[in-house]
Amino acid sequence: MRNVAIAGIGIHKFGRFDNETYIDIGLTAVKSALRDAGMVWKDIQMAFCSRMYLPATSGIRILSQLGRTGISIVDVEAACASGGAALRLASLAISSGECDKVLVLGVEKMPRGFMDPSQLYEDWQIKLGLSQNPMYWAMSARRHMHDYGTTLEQLAKVAVKNHKNSVFNPNAMYQKEYSIDEVINSKIVNDPIRLFMICAPNEGAAAVVLTTNKVAKRCTSKPIMVKASVHKVALYNDWRVPARSMSARVINPHVTELMAKEAYKIASLGPEDLDVAEVQDTDAFMELETYAHLGLCRKGEEGKLIDSGSVDLGGKIPVNTSGGLISKGEPIGASHLGQIYHLVQQLRGELSQAQVPQAQVALAHVTGAGGNGAITILQK
Amino acid sequence: MECTTIKDDFFSKPLHPIEGVTLMGCRCRNCNEVFFGKYVACQNCGSEDLVDTPLSRQGILYSYTVNRNQPPIGYKGKLPFEPFAVGLLELPEGVRILAPLTDVNFEDIEIGMNMELKITKFYGDDAGKPVLAYAFAPSK
Repeated sequence: MRNVAIAGIGIHKFGRFDNETYIDIGLTAVKSALRDAGMVWKDIQMAFCSRMYLPATSGIRILSQLGRTGISIVDVEAACASGGAALRLASLAISSGECDKVLVLGVEKMPRGFMDPSQLYEDWQIKLGLSQNPMYWAMSARRHMHDYGTTLEQLAKVAVKNHKNSVFNPNAMYQKEYSIDEVINSKIVNDPIRLFMICAPNEGAAAVVLTTNKVAKRCTSKPIMVKASVHKVALYNDWRVPARSMSARVINPHVTELMAKEAYKIASLGPEDLDVAEVQDTDAFMELETYAHLGLCRKGEEGKLIDSGSVDLGGKIPVNTSGGLISKGEPIGASHLGQIYHLVQQLRGELSQAQVPQAQVALAHVTGAGGNGAITILQK
Repeated sequence: MECTTIKDDFFSKPLHPIEGVTLMGCRCRNCNEVFFGKYVACQNCGSEDLVDTPLSRQGILYSYTVNRNQPPIGYKGKLPFEPFAVGLLELPEGVRILAPLTDVNFEDIEIGMNMELKITKFYGDDAGKPVLAYAFAPSK
């Protein structure tokens, strides 16, 4: 198997852009990724487009604007892990030897207001009013608080940290700091989850050009290696959108634990090797529980980890230095590739206030509906 | 009066009188896992040897939250919207099921509380027939 590297990255800011179509938004990210890799569109031999709320053939509609070169262009959907699934397919295309230059575009322009619940939920759940994602997150958070003594303040601290980091990220939707009190006193969405603890669905795009190590070294002075790219679906009994029940008897590892184990093995690295990570923070509790699933702390000690400051900028393993989805918003198809964009900047040493000094190894994590999850590990 | 349900495989038959209606699940004859409603195959072991089984009316609250905002399109509950609690009820069969909570003040809800099934006439369908749904209320 050949090694895989990132030769170029591009982004379109995450937010709301009434005057731009998803095609405009996607093209902005693609053009900047190609420019960053020193390539033109006709160099690309295969392309994947991750998206969830856009029409059929979105990838073709966006990329064919640059000319019909006849290559394979495939749309990929895996809920919040769409970008990770697309990146994995692209990595396989490189490592298998079939292609040397593959583009991965993640793009989304989500409808304003309520999303169509039938995308995720069954008819009876919609009728009964059980079709709001934060409801599921809130019940997990409440049980964790009950079992381990995790506090509302600790949940708020995750949001405070990420909002604080967002101030340094010009590509974030919100770039505003909030105090613990402001987070706790923001509107209750689903007890104990508050408005400033969750992310907004929005619009945006990010793109990466994947190549072999050899090609990347010709394109850029700062190639970043893809050490592992994993996508999985949860085993039985993960509590998740849109589950109707869970077992009180069978305990299986969380999908993130399974992915992390596999990704660390493939990369020959462990959680102790990570210098920086971007993790799914669609709500603050999800980030908190992910600390243990990734092996950054033991289960039940997630609250202590946020209290310790280890996951803050300047800490031992800073998490969501981009501001996370809580501040960037979550354009679903683009979110994982947005994480990759930020982490490549970290590993190249291109950031200023949010830079983690001498970052060598980075991990990006997403998880979502249906038990989808993805982890990518990058190394300088 | 003739009734329908929010999801047919969740409810025992006949639907009248509603006092006699219980929730239904299925049990895997290979690994003994119990599920809420029908499945093609056991979610735990993959066996297709599943048998219908009635679920207990009594449960213990495993976790909960309150839905404070009107759900998106398609909600059939009372309008104007009234916030309602929702929880995971652990039943003696070893399954925790998602259920709206009823007849309880939000501030009185506690993990570990004993609750019991309440079959409700949730709304009327286009033909005017009552549509049965389920909820859990504190045990009397």
